[in-house]
Amino acid sequence: MTALWIMLLAPLVGAALNGLLLRKSPKIVSHLVAVGAMTVSFAAAVSVFLNMLKNGGEPQTYLAFEWLDAGGFHAPFKYIVDRLSGLMMLVVTGIGTLIHIYAGGYMHEESTTYRFFTYLNLFVFMMLQLVMGDNLMVMFVGWEGVGLCSYLLIGYWFHDDNNAAAGMKAFLVNRIGDIGFLFGIFLTYRHFGTVSFSELREMIGAGALDAVKLGAIGWITLCLFVGATGKSAQLPLYVWLPDAMAGPTPVSALIHAATMVTAGIYMMTRLNFMFYLAPMTMQIIAIVGAMTALFAATIALVQSDIKKVLAYSTVSQLGYMVLACGVGAFEAGVFHLFTHACFKALMFLGAGSVIVAMHHEQDMFKMGGLRKYMPVTHAVFLVGVLAIIGMPPFAGFFSKDEILWKAYIGGGPVIWGLGAVAAGCTSFYMVRLLCLTFYGEHRGGGHGDHHDAHAVHAKKEHHDHSSHHEPHETGPDMWGPLVILAIMSAGVGFLGVPHVLGGHNIFEEYLKPVIMIPEAAKEHWEFLEASYSHSLEIGLMVASVVIMIMASGTAIVLYGRGPAAVLGKWKASLPRVYDTLSNKYYVDEFYFANIVQPVRDTAEFLWSFVDVKIVDGAVNGVGEMCKFIAGSVSFKMTGSVHRHAMVLVVGLVCLLSVLVIN
Amino acid sequence: MVPVEFYFMLACVIFTLGLFGALFRRNIIMVLMSIELMLNAVNLVFVAAGRSIGNLDGQIMVLFVITVAACEAAVGLAMVIALFRKYGTVNTDILRLLRG
Repeated sequence: MTALWIMLLAPLVGAALNGLLLRKSPKIVSHLVAVGAMTVSFAAAVSVFLNMLKNGGEPQTYLAFEWLDAGGFHAPFKYIVDRLSGLMMLVVTGIGTLIHIYAGGYMHEESTTYRFFTYLNLFVFMMLQLVMGDNLMVMFVGWEGVGLCSYLLIGYWFHDDNNAAAGMKAFLVNRIGDIGFLFGIFLTYRHFGTVSFSELREMIGAGALDAVKLGAIGWITLCLFVGATGKSAQLPLYVWLPDAMAGPTPVSALIHAATMVTAGIYMMTRLNFMFYLAPMTMQIIAIVGAMTALFAATIALVQSDIKKVLAYSTVSQLGYMVLACGVGAFEAGVFHLFTHACFKALMFLGAGSVIVAMHHEQDMFKMGGLRKYMPVTHAVFLVGVLAIIGMPPFAGFFSKDEILWKAYIGGGPVIWGLGAVAAGCTSFYMVRLLCLTFYGEHRGGGHGDHHDAHAVHAKKEHHDHSSHHEPHETGPDMWGPLVILAIMSAGVGFLGVPHVLGGHNIFEEYLKPVIMIPEAAKEHWEFLEASYSHSLEIGLMVASVVIMIMASGTAIVLYGRGPAAVLGKWKASLPRVYDTLSNKYYVDEFYFANIVQPVRDTAEFLWSFVDVKIVDGAVNGVGEMCKFIAGSVSFKMTGSVHRHAMVLVVGLVCLLSVLVIN
Repeated sequence: MVPVEFYFMLACVIFTLGLFGALFRRNIIMVLMSIELMLNAVNLVFVAAGRSIGNLDGQIMVLFVITVAACEAAVGLAMVIALFRKYGTVNTDILRLLRG
């Protein structure tokens, strides 16, 4: 199985070449090396995938080398190739390759591109560990590895304190989730004696779990879900993702939209047989997912930074995927993961092109009318928007409606309602973004005020492009990948056309073997298999399309001719609501006041009192005491050799006389 | 034959002379010489005692002591020279570096 090893190692080789050997070489070389590594990896992934299909999609494991082997604990570096990991590796390497190609154009002004591409390639390597690993430990290695790369890339422009802080925030918030994930691993080993996915699946598939094990599964899944809320940016740990937009835009596209943030959904799907056994956890997951979807979507309604809108949109879409997992429709979640990876990568890269064209301006209120200047970007962005708002027959329509339908039958009308309202918000903010950016009058005058986060960067930019005053279309190296992604965003939905619309839902059939509902839980999940009246499903579909069209229409009416008039009205009529939303429900402030500040205060106390006063005090106190005692008797030390000798002799005589007398 | 006690008494006298010399002379060279005197008093005891009980250990021990004393004298005198070069004196009333 050479192709598998080539796929796994190519990005690592690329990272090593760029990071160790090619630091001094021209930018184009680092770019070519990185893209080359990704292309090789993608080609190998396709070969592995086809081979897997030829074998009927049966899971196969491949041992790389023994790793942890201590007593009963056994965790080798073993990789699994099955339908789920096969799909994920295609997404990671395929979309990764496109983004690598694009990144060359986006980063061409940077002086340290080798560093950027090293991190990016390393990220892909780690992501492949995450999705290919056959046990929780290898997955954990990838899980932490992608977190590290995410941190490094968010803080890529680390000269700006804000960016460095955003990286740190992402890392620390993820750490909270990781604790949950680790505890999940510990509990799994304690109760099942293994961390291997295949063995767990076999063990649970065989049935006969006692009450203790069933109870344990509840806790295990809950812990693992905490890990997923960190990585996949769910309530209450989503706060790092919007800040992560401080990184370069290709990073946002690859890591914070298409791949890394879906790790939580992937992990839950990988362990679906355990989650099915924990209905309580599943209920929590569904509620958290639905709440996140709505919560983030409402924040996105009023953001003015183009990347922030996309970031909150990502949080919201991840909420949908988590919701799908929570109602037991893992296939639907993964399907949405797949389509979302296409259209959100497309939109992030499109936003990147816009940002480059606007000379690193990210405020949508200063854009407008870009359709004239950037026809290709406009066209592909339009496809992306149509896909995410669920316009039939674009990709998002099929995947999102699948989730909403499953949410309705699995979670009831309330959960469905949350999802549907969130879908309405999605349509609104996406059309708003489109209007503000591409339509109306161009509002970008001069280069006066640049976005803070890019001030340093922008200065350089300004210098380079001082002759250009109008936005300009990007080169084919940048819009090429966009066109491919646009075709995918428009097309991949047809893989999952539901039966009611006369399709065969190929995607669901493809993933079926990965999903396993254990005997013990069959009864609870039988609604997934039950048959429903077609009119209900079609009714819901029509409802969501109507919601989408109404919300989009509202956005067009409000923002179609520029933001000026609307904004005033918004603010005047609903000042409270507007402020709350544009300040993101004050969640960051709440966390700062209730978590960050107390932690800092505690740290300050531990430092300035416990450490300085008590620990240092004790150590220094002993020293001071010695010095004091010594000082008080040191006058006896005259420094005269004779006196020393005399004392010695007298002492000796005393000792001897004692001996003699006894 | 002289009784062994006489040797012991002589050794005591020499030792005490050496001790007092080491304690009260202010010249380091004199102090060193006094220490040599004490060592030799001890040597005398070793030899005399060994001889009186017919054992060679005492004499062997003396050979060791003489060797060590020679080394000690060499090192000691070298230090005295170094001291003199640095401070221009060998008077212990002036050389009081360990004063507290």
